[in-house]
Amino acid sequence: MAQSAVLSDVEFTLDGDLHELARLAEEITWFCEENALSSEIEFDLNLAMEELFTNAVRHGGCEGMKDAVRIRLERRDDAVNVEFADSGREFDPASSPPLDLTVSLAERQAGGLGLHLVRRTMSDLQYRRSGEWNHITMRRPL
Amino acid sequence: MIELAQQTRGGWCVVTIRGRADAEAADEMERALRAAVNQNHRVAADFANVDYISSAGLRAVLQAGRAAQERKTEFTVCQLRGPVKKVFEISGMQHVLRIEEELPC
Repeated sequence: MAQSAVLSDVEFTLDGDLHELARLAEEITWFCEENALSSEIEFDLNLAMEELFTNAVRHGGCEGMKDAVRIRLERRDDAVNVEFADSGREFDPASSPPLDLTVSLAERQAGGLGLHLVRRTMSDLQYRRSGEWNHITMRRPL
Repeated sequence: MIELAQQTRGGWCVVTIRGRADAEAADEMERALRAAVNQNHRVAADFANVDYISSAGLRAVLQAGRAAQERKTEFTVCQLRGPVKKVFEISGMQHVLRIEEELPC
């Protein structure tokens, strides 16, 4: 499928520290304001990236690493394309099993909810391992 | 940034939450909700001023819900708005928690 042209883009890095979530939110707000994107799109982008970032810090071994995560956002005609790269352990988010939403409160597992939210808010999630980096690409249709 | 406040009205302990329920704020929110659940018979979490939540925030609410179930405390989540409401719904929280449009008191 032919991709539409990139109208605007931004790239930034985050250290492996949950305090960086505030800066992540600021970068996304700035990008959405620059590109006249709605607060709903801003929310979804923030949610998907927080989930991937938090996984990389808590479970991927990125905690305490300088520039552990690189994020690139591209505003296109019909979507925001996202590239998320982290230098944590090899992990394909597509390998996480779907969440069972019907189990009782006592049986609900803590894991898997974050990736469930990524899959429900973003499209075309793709993964590749390149050298020491996990690369995840996805898009939020407009 | 998250702000938490607690007050008692009409037999309910209302925990008012304001701001972003993200991974950085989740532990603080869970502590406040669990403390309310442990000390009261009826607890309402007021989400009217929560403008963002991630899975970490949902997990904090689930843990409080579990604690309430164990202690037989009534626990309800109220006044979910906009995308926060959507996140609760797509996570199936309505199957395991009592969710109300309005505060019970």
